[in-house]
Amino acid sequence: MSGGGDMNEGRGMSGGMGKGGGMRNAFAAEWTKLWSLRSTWWALAISMGLMTVMAFTVGRSVVDNNTNAQSGDDQGIVSVSGTAISSVDLVQFVPVALAILMVTGEYASGMIRPTFTWVPSRGRVLAAKALVVTSVVIPLGVLLGVVGTVAAGFALGDWGRFSWTDATSDILAFALYLGLVCVFALGVATLLRSTAGTLTTAFLGLMALPMLLMGPAASRPLAENLPSSAGRTFMGIAEDAPYRGSIGLAVLVAWTVASLLFGRFILVRRDA
Amino acid sequence: MPIVGSARPGPVPSVVGMITMRDLTKRFGERTAVDGLTLDIASGKVTGFLGPNGAGKSTTMRMVLGLDRPSAGTALVNGRPFAELRHPLREVGALLDAKAVHPGRSIRAHLLAAARSNGLPGRRVDEVLALVGLEAVARRRAGTLSLGMGQRLGIAGALLGDPAVLMFDEPVNGLDPDGVLWMRRLMRSLAAEGRTVFVSSHLMSEMQLTADRLVVIGRGRLLADAPMAEVVASGTRVRVRSPRARELAAFLTSAGLDVMVGPDGELTVSDASAERVGTLAHEAGIPLFELTVRQRSLEEAYMELTSESVEFGVAEPRVEARA
Repeated sequence: MSGGGDMNEGRGMSGGMGKGGGMRNAFAAEWTKLWSLRSTWWALAISMGLMTVMAFTVGRSVVDNNTNAQSGDDQGIVSVSGTAISSVDLVQFVPVALAILMVTGEYASGMIRPTFTWVPSRGRVLAAKALVVTSVVIPLGVLLGVVGTVAAGFALGDWGRFSWTDATSDILAFALYLGLVCVFALGVATLLRSTAGTLTTAFLGLMALPMLLMGPAASRPLAENLPSSAGRTFMGIAEDAPYRGSIGLAVLVAWTVASLLFGRFILVRRDA
Repeated sequence: MPIVGSARPGPVPSVVGMITMRDLTKRFGERTAVDGLTLDIASGKVTGFLGPNGAGKSTTMRMVLGLDRPSAGTALVNGRPFAELRHPLREVGALLDAKAVHPGRSIRAHLLAAARSNGLPGRRVDEVLALVGLEAVARRRAGTLSLGMGQRLGIAGALLGDPAVLMFDEPVNGLDPDGVLWMRRLMRSLAAEGRTVFVSSHLMSEMQLTADRLVVIGRGRLLADAPMAEVVASGTRVRVRSPRARELAAFLTSAGLDVMVGPDGELTVSDASAERVGTLAHEAGIPLFELTVRQRSLEEAYMELTSESVEFGVAEPRVEARA
């Protein structure tokens, strides 16, 4: 295509080219960027390894609790897939780190400026990153769920209860949770820009804060509505679920949308 | 043969590829980095963008690219704000900071992502890699490149979309002499194809060889916007040696000329032609041993233009002529 022609008929052409092409191109660029980094492949490998180890460990401790001398800690026969996805607390940080790096890695290297000169619409850049994150993390979540269920099954042996229906809904809920929490982290990363800062915030917000606030009765409602707590309720692995799973999903979606919108609000106003 | 390869069917018509700035202003808190800049950067020319460190050159370029938002005024490319360009890489190619690439990504993947972002075919990546001489290292990670190679990668990225407008911020930084020559030829031929080449540099001698037109700013304000020849010629000096130098100096001064007497009795006459000085000496009956016209170098012209803005902060534009 000729740059000259583009210019002369610029106004007419840009109107006639449709909106979809811009988003598709932005997505293709973000997709190419993600898969051309070794850290992406490392993150996938590490998440698989961590899921296997965690699911197996959680399964073994159920078996040990059931077979030791104390009867107070017995859990009886448990769901295999439920045991697997309860390792989400730790496993989630690998895909979350991957999502965070898609933004903070570009700020650290200065790559964010080429990114914005390739795609000047910053809202579109963020939307493309969010789409890439979900289209990578949700299938990854399914894979992790399957791997974790197999590992938990091995660990639990006869103490495990497996049903295809449970496994399917557990694994899909787990995958959806991971996708949403990663997009949530992407929005936070857009706000904070620094890798260390965002990782710390994610760790505090998704793990430390809910545990801390769960203690005092006054802060308990807040703790129950934080993204990771809402996610646990949605996945059916919360200890005493304060509300139905669908409400948990709604709360999580609200957090994710708020994080993305706030990230976008700041991103379009800030000098790159 | 067009230097950027086969994507363009013919030379760019000379009407395309304008960068237009109107009262462009950028304030960072108290500090005004760019102060009411009004400029038209025309196509078919290499426009050199000069100014001391911190004069606002990079900020200006970043505003043109929509990276920084102006505090006031507008910057347009091809008549539109950069943010409204549908396929910006096909209209503007820019190299601002060659190091601003992800160090872990191969240079081919970096360019491929750029190509896909603007719907350009993957073969353009190989074309520009060949053009800048990086095909052999296409699979290397960007973080392992030398400064010069990184600069070439940035130039490859700028040329990717075969744009009519090119902006380079200090493009010869880190290039070896071969690279400098290559860059100069590249910029000249891009301009010869009718493209707009807007290039900032600190290297005056290099600019003197490359640019057709100069824009000089100091403390964010426009100091000069004129053809290169005009900027350089405006300070022509005549050097005179005479056995009766003091007498001649007095005579020339009384004729209204600006004369400086050197330590060895050599006279320097500013803003005068050799003809004028020679005729006056003849009228006074004073013999001359030497009468030499010295063209001011760009560096000297630049130093004069910017000295005030460096020392005192404000300066009226010294060269107001426009081509």
